[in-house]
Amino acid sequence: MSLSVPDLNFRVIAPALIVALTALIVLLAELVTPAPRKRWLGVLGLIGLLIAAGATVGLWGAPASAFGGMVVADNFGLFLTLVILLGAALSILLALDFVRAHRVDQGEYYVLVLFAVVGMILMATATDLIVIFLALELLSLPLYILAAFKRADARSLEAGLKYFLLGAFSSAFFLYGIAFIFGGTGTTNLMKIADALAKNPRNDLLLVGAGLLLVGFAFKVALVPFHWWTPDVYDGAPTAVTAFMSVGVKAAAFGAFFRAFLVALPAFAFDWRIVLAALAVLTMTLGNVAALLQSNVKRMLAYSSIAHAGYILIALVAMGASGLSSALFYLLAYTLTNLGAFGAVIALSDGERERLEIRDWGGAARQYPFIAAMFAIFMLSLAGFPPLAGFTGKFLIFSAAVETGWAWLAVIGVLNSLVSAYFYLRPIVQMYMSEPVPGWDRIRVAPLVALALVLALIGVIALGLYPTPAIVMATGGFLR
Amino acid sequence: MPVDYLPILVMIAIVTAFAVIALTLSAMTGPRRPNPTKLSPYESGMPPFGSARRRFSIKYYLTAVLFILFDIEIIFFYPWAVLFRDLGWFGLSAMGTFMLVLLIGYVYVWRKGGFEWD
Amino acid sequence: MDFFDNIFTNIYAWLAFWLHELLMGWNLPKDVESALVSAIMIILVIIVIILWMVLMVLILIWLERKNAARIQDRVGPNRVGPWGLLQPVADTIKMLIKEDILPENADRFVHTIAPMIVMMPPVLMFAVIPWGKGMVPVDLNIGVLWIIAVASIGTIGVFLGGYGSNNKYSLLGGMRAVAQMVSYEIPQVLTIVPIVLMVGSMSLVKINEAQSGWFGMQWFVFAFPVGTIAFVVYYLSALAEVGRTPFDIPEGESEIVAGYMTEYSGMKWALFYLAEYFNFFIVCVIGATLFLGGWNGPILPGYVWLVAKTYALVLLGMWIRMTWPRFRVDQLMNFAWKVLVPIALVNIVLAGVALPIFKMIGF
Repeated sequence: MSLSVPDLNFRVIAPALIVALTALIVLLAELVTPAPRKRWLGVLGLIGLLIAAGATVGLWGAPASAFGGMVVADNFGLFLTLVILLGAALSILLALDFVRAHRVDQGEYYVLVLFAVVGMILMATATDLIVIFLALELLSLPLYILAAFKRADARSLEAGLKYFLLGAFSSAFFLYGIAFIFGGTGTTNLMKIADALAKNPRNDLLLVGAGLLLVGFAFKVALVPFHWWTPDVYDGAPTAVTAFMSVGVKAAAFGAFFRAFLVALPAFAFDWRIVLAALAVLTMTLGNVAALLQSNVKRMLAYSSIAHAGYILIALVAMGASGLSSALFYLLAYTLTNLGAFGAVIALSDGERERLEIRDWGGAARQYPFIAAMFAIFMLSLAGFPPLAGFTGKFLIFSAAVETGWAWLAVIGVLNSLVSAYFYLRPIVQMYMSEPVPGWDRIRVAPLVALALVLALIGVIALGLYPTPAIVMATGGFLR
Repeated sequence: MPVDYLPILVMIAIVTAFAVIALTLSAMTGPRRPNPTKLSPYESGMPPFGSARRRFSIKYYLTAVLFILFDIEIIFFYPWAVLFRDLGWFGLSAMGTFMLVLLIGYVYVWRKGGFEWD
Repeated sequence: MDFFDNIFTNIYAWLAFWLHELLMGWNLPKDVESALVSAIMIILVIIVIILWMVLMVLILIWLERKNAARIQDRVGPNRVGPWGLLQPVADTIKMLIKEDILPENADRFVHTIAPMIVMMPPVLMFAVIPWGKGMVPVDLNIGVLWIIAVASIGTIGVFLGGYGSNNKYSLLGGMRAVAQMVSYEIPQVLTIVPIVLMVGSMSLVKINEAQSGWFGMQWFVFAFPVGTIAFVVYYLSALAEVGRTPFDIPEGESEIVAGYMTEYSGMKWALFYLAEYFNFFIVCVIGATLFLGGWNGPILPGYVWLVAKTYALVLLGMWIRMTWPRFRVDQLMNFAWKVLVPIALVNIVLAGVALPIFKMIGF
């Protein structure tokens, strides 16, 4: 008996492999690094992420699949890989000083971030439900630990535990959905599911499976009936972790979400488009309305991230090439903007004391004009003011919706954006028009955090003023 | 073949029956003269205090987690060992990589004091 | 010699034939009849196996007591039967008519079911052992895996016993027992991998066949260095797995009374006690099967060889028990995780790399 070895095209998963290797190296280096030099491990991780980004660019434009069609490197996946690597790199820049200020200066932080990145990359490039599930677990488990990384802080522990319990719950839904889909079609490969569906369009098992799959994805990207964990976890987790979590998980989970529904289930599009449209409306509206009521910046940003998930969902409802590229562009813009916003919170915190309440931001513009200005720009971009990245992203998504006949959805999206402007403007008003709050006047802004903020700012403005290259990159589409 | 396991099923039934019969016989033949002292939990002759179902050290939890990790990883060796000849150098290199990753985790746990029992 | 070698298989075949003849008279449909015959034969074989097992363990208990006595310069049991041979039987009857005490606030269900669960795995392992040529009650193609999987069930019973007794010593003993058993399961499972690797099958029958010939020189224990190391690691971790001195931390009487068995009496205690000896016996049988060639051997019938090898291992274990002091808990855990596990891992690498190289140079 001889066994045939499947086509192991290791080149295709090179970005994930490089990040995983970096994680292992950092893990071993952690053992021999003395306590004051732990930040060099973060630098090591950054170098690994850069090399992985280089490998991703090297794969660009030549779609290929590997491991018997379980993983692909198409432009859709590679674009998301770049977004994830960018988000991870910026969040490590934010964390280098943050972990020291919060006295959790351990090399494991970077290891966990890197492992989560491996999971995210695989999730964005996987074309098999089992691999998607494995990647989902690989990205979730480190994040559960990261959310509870500040061990001495009860709120951080609560966040970690809450995230873990609900995440495990949603994973079960997801896996159950995969089981149903496998039962209905006899395969877990997305393309083969589509083929099986084309032959036999009435498939009740598959319908149940798709529903459960939707619930699993909805948990991960925080769509409305399944969003309850988001504010508590985003609020309780260390801010640098929240920043990473809010962008990385969204990019990866939406990547798999889009791929699963657009590649495997287009035959059911008539059914799920309506469901997803309803979810999008609910998500946007509830996210924005709840954000209006928050007095805590991190909770506000959490609800805002829920609302943004709703906007991205519009792109999925729109389907087609324009929907896909607009979603990718939006994820890129959202990654830069959101990391910038959380970065500003980190930049203006005093050791372990953070400006969590909006009233703490009073008069910040007078004390730290540059950081305040950047924070204001990120807020405006989240709200969707031209000429910033957020505006371009929203414009692309809404026009994709209008193109494909979902104008009413676009209208609701625009109305929601108007509502959201109110709460995004509140901290800006506070910063520029209130008296300084006493006790916040001797803060040393860490240079690396400032660097991350400037990088994000350049990205946000560049994407707003000259979005064409990014849009062109985002139109690569799937390898089917 | 599922039918190969039929004798096992019979065996489970017979062993359970054996245990149940032994316990029932003992219950029937043995005396039953309880008194409070006899029924109180044994604590070296002192009157028992507090509940026995208390929290125990985190060390046991750590050991259990390590066991689960290693046991699951180790089970992957078996299919490879069975097909060792067919897989050849490809299998050997793949398993070597697997072993390397396992060893990195092992070294990490060792250096972090995960195996210390104090 | 063939006559003795095949005596049990012949009896089996003759019984099956006789049953067949008997049922002929009933004029049953063909398939019903053959199913009935095989069902009856299965039950018969299993009853024989269980009886065989009980017999072996009674001898084992007697042997242990006699041995301990000799090593400590005593006489040992000598009143019941010739040389005290019937002592274990007398003990069993005594246990049967003792009072069964359920301590207050104990969990009745858990307390009762624990000894039953502990008893189950060794019996299930007995079923897959090839006792002689063609004498394997259940020939599973995943024999080794089955043994590993079933062996770990006992841990649950031990923990339930410790937890259900409402006694601090019991809980402590139960926790220690679980920690020890799971720790030593790792090297034990690891160290069997090279054997599976050399044979290319997980079936115990195949493993046995691979060790035949050359008057014992094909036994895996002589496959230096891989097999020898594997055997030593297996034997040490097996002793610890079944919790015998010097690895009997879970029931170290000078520390925690009797560990998880503290609150057990009467037949329930006897079941725990029996299970302990069942376990000891079965790990020795498995050791003999995997490393000492199983029933392979010259002149004498196969089953005699297997029993002889098993008792050799048993006696070695008794010798160790009588002459070694108990380990401390930390020494015990360190020994498993820091000594046996790395040795076993290196051994797998050795086996994986050495075998292809041997094949290349035509060894």
